[in-house]
Amino acid sequence: MDRNRKILISILAMLVLTAVIAIVHVSLTIQEEKSFSLSVNVPQFGPGVGIARVEGPIGFSVDKSPFSMARGSEDLINRLDDLEKDSNIKAVVLRINSPGGTVAATQEIYQKIWKLRKKNIVVVASMGEVAASGGYYIASACNHIIANQGTLTGSIGVIAASPNLKGLLDRFGIKMNVIKSGKFKDSMAFHREMRDDERELIQQLIDISYEKFIKDIALGRNMNESDIRPVADGRVMTGETAMKYKLIDGIGTFEDAVDRARQLAELPASSPVYDEMKTPLEQLLFSVNGMFRGNGLIQNGLSMDDYYRLEYRLLP
Amino acid sequence: MIIAKIRSLLWADFFLYSLVDPRLLYRQIGKNDPRPFLLSFTVPAISTISGILALSLLGKQTSFFFTKITYGWILLFIWESFKIVILAALMDMACQFQGSRGNIREMVSLLNFSLFPQAFILPTSMIFSIINFAPVFMFVLFSLVLFVWSAWIAVIGISEMHSIQAGRTVLIFIFPYLFISIVFFFMGLLSLISLVSYITT
Repeated sequence: MDRNRKILISILAMLVLTAVIAIVHVSLTIQEEKSFSLSVNVPQFGPGVGIARVEGPIGFSVDKSPFSMARGSEDLINRLDDLEKDSNIKAVVLRINSPGGTVAATQEIYQKIWKLRKKNIVVVASMGEVAASGGYYIASACNHIIANQGTLTGSIGVIAASPNLKGLLDRFGIKMNVIKSGKFKDSMAFHREMRDDERELIQQLIDISYEKFIKDIALGRNMNESDIRPVADGRVMTGETAMKYKLIDGIGTFEDAVDRARQLAELPASSPVYDEMKTPLEQLLFSVNGMFRGNGLIQNGLSMDDYYRLEYRLLP
Repeated sequence: MIIAKIRSLLWADFFLYSLVDPRLLYRQIGKNDPRPFLLSFTVPAISTISGILALSLLGKQTSFFFTKITYGWILLFIWESFKIVILAALMDMACQFQGSRGNIREMVSLLNFSLFPQAFILPTSMIFSIINFAPVFMFVLFSLVLFVWSAWIAVIGISEMHSIQAGRTVLIFIFPYLFISIVFFFMGLLSLISLVSYITT
C-alpha cells in the first residue's frame, strides 16, 4: 500500500511540476501589452462628413444579395437624400467602385449630386478599384475627385450591345416568330442580322447619350468640351493618367478624400464621419460579398439581362 | 496531530482510489478516517487550476494571465464547489426518491474526488502544445474523455454508496443535468413570452 501511495504522491508532484512549468512558460511568452485605452463606441454628433457608396454596376435594379453592398440607384439617391436632410452633414464623400451602368440611373445620381452641391454641401469623389464610364460620370458631378494611382477610370463613352445568334439558331433549325407593331420594335433582336436603318437609329441614341455625357462632364469639371473629347473615346486609364488629362483633381486614398472633404467644408480635422456601414456585422457581411454570389459563366456570360440597353459602362 | 496525519499518507488513498477503484473510494469515504469532506475540496481546486493553465497554453497571453491564475482561479473554484453542492443535493434527492437513505455529505465528497482525473488535462494538453500537434483539438478531446472518466467514478461510487445497479445510478447521475436544463428551458421560454407580451400590450 505504501508503494501505491508513493506512486500517487509522485503523480501529484508531477501535476504540481507541470503547473509550475506551465506558469513559467506562459509568463515567459507573455505578449507586450498594448497601452490600455478604454474604447467605447459613443454616438457621433456634430457637423461632419457623410459617406455614400456606389458599389458594382449602376442601375435601377441590380443583383442584390444579403452579403452585398451593391444597390440600385434609388437606394443611393435615398442615402444622398438622407445626408442632404441631415443638418450635421457639411460634406459628403462618395466612394465609387463601379464600372458604370445604365444611362438613366447614372444621370439620376448625377443630378442628385448637383442638388447637394447647390445646397452648399461639398461632395468629394473617392475612386476605388474602378470608377469608369458611368462611375466617372457620377464622379464628375462632385466638387473634387480623388483616385488611387491604380484606379481604372475613364472609359468615357456609351455602349449598347446584343449578341447575334442567327448562325447558331439556323444551325439548330430554330426560328423566331415575331409579331411587332413597327419595324424598329425588335431592333436589337439576337435572332437576325441588324439592318442598316436600325444600326443608324441605335447610333443616334448612342450619340445623343454621348453628347450628354460630354456636356455633363464639362459642366461638373468646369472644363471645355474640346478638352475632354480627345480622351473621351472609350479609353480606360489609370488614376495617374486621368490626373494628367485633368479628369481628376488628386491622387490619394479614401482617407485623403475624407480629409479633403473636411478642408473644403471648413470642418475641423476631428469632425465625425457618418458612414453607412455602422456595425461590425455589416462590415463582415460586406467583406464576404462574392463568396455566395455564384459569379459563374451562366450568370455573367450568357445572361441576356445586360443586353438591350444603353450603358455608360466599362465592358471587359 | 495534523502533521502526523499528513505524514501517514492515509489521505493519499482517496486520490489513489479515485483513479484505480471508485468502489474502494466510497468505502474509504465511508470510513471517515481521515475526514474526507474538507480534503475533497482540494480536488476542484486542483482541477480548476489545471483547466485554466491548459487553456492558457493554447493561445498567447497578456498580463491578464496573472489575474486569471489568482483571482480567476478562486472565482472558478467557488463556482465549481457551488456546482458540486447543487449537483450532489439533486443526486441525493434522486437517490431518496428511489428509496435510498440520504447522505449528502458523502455525496459531496464523492463528487469532489470524482473530479480528480480532470487535473490531468494540464499534462496531456501540455504534451500536444509542446509538439504542436492539434493542441486545441486534443484539449477538447481529452476534456471529453476526462469528463467521461469523472462521470464513471461518480456513477460507480454512487452505486456502491446505495448498493444499486449501475444502470439506475446513471439515471441518478443524469437527473440533475436534465432537471436543471428543463427548469432553465421553461424559465427562458416563460420569460420570453412575458417579455413579448409586455412589449406588445
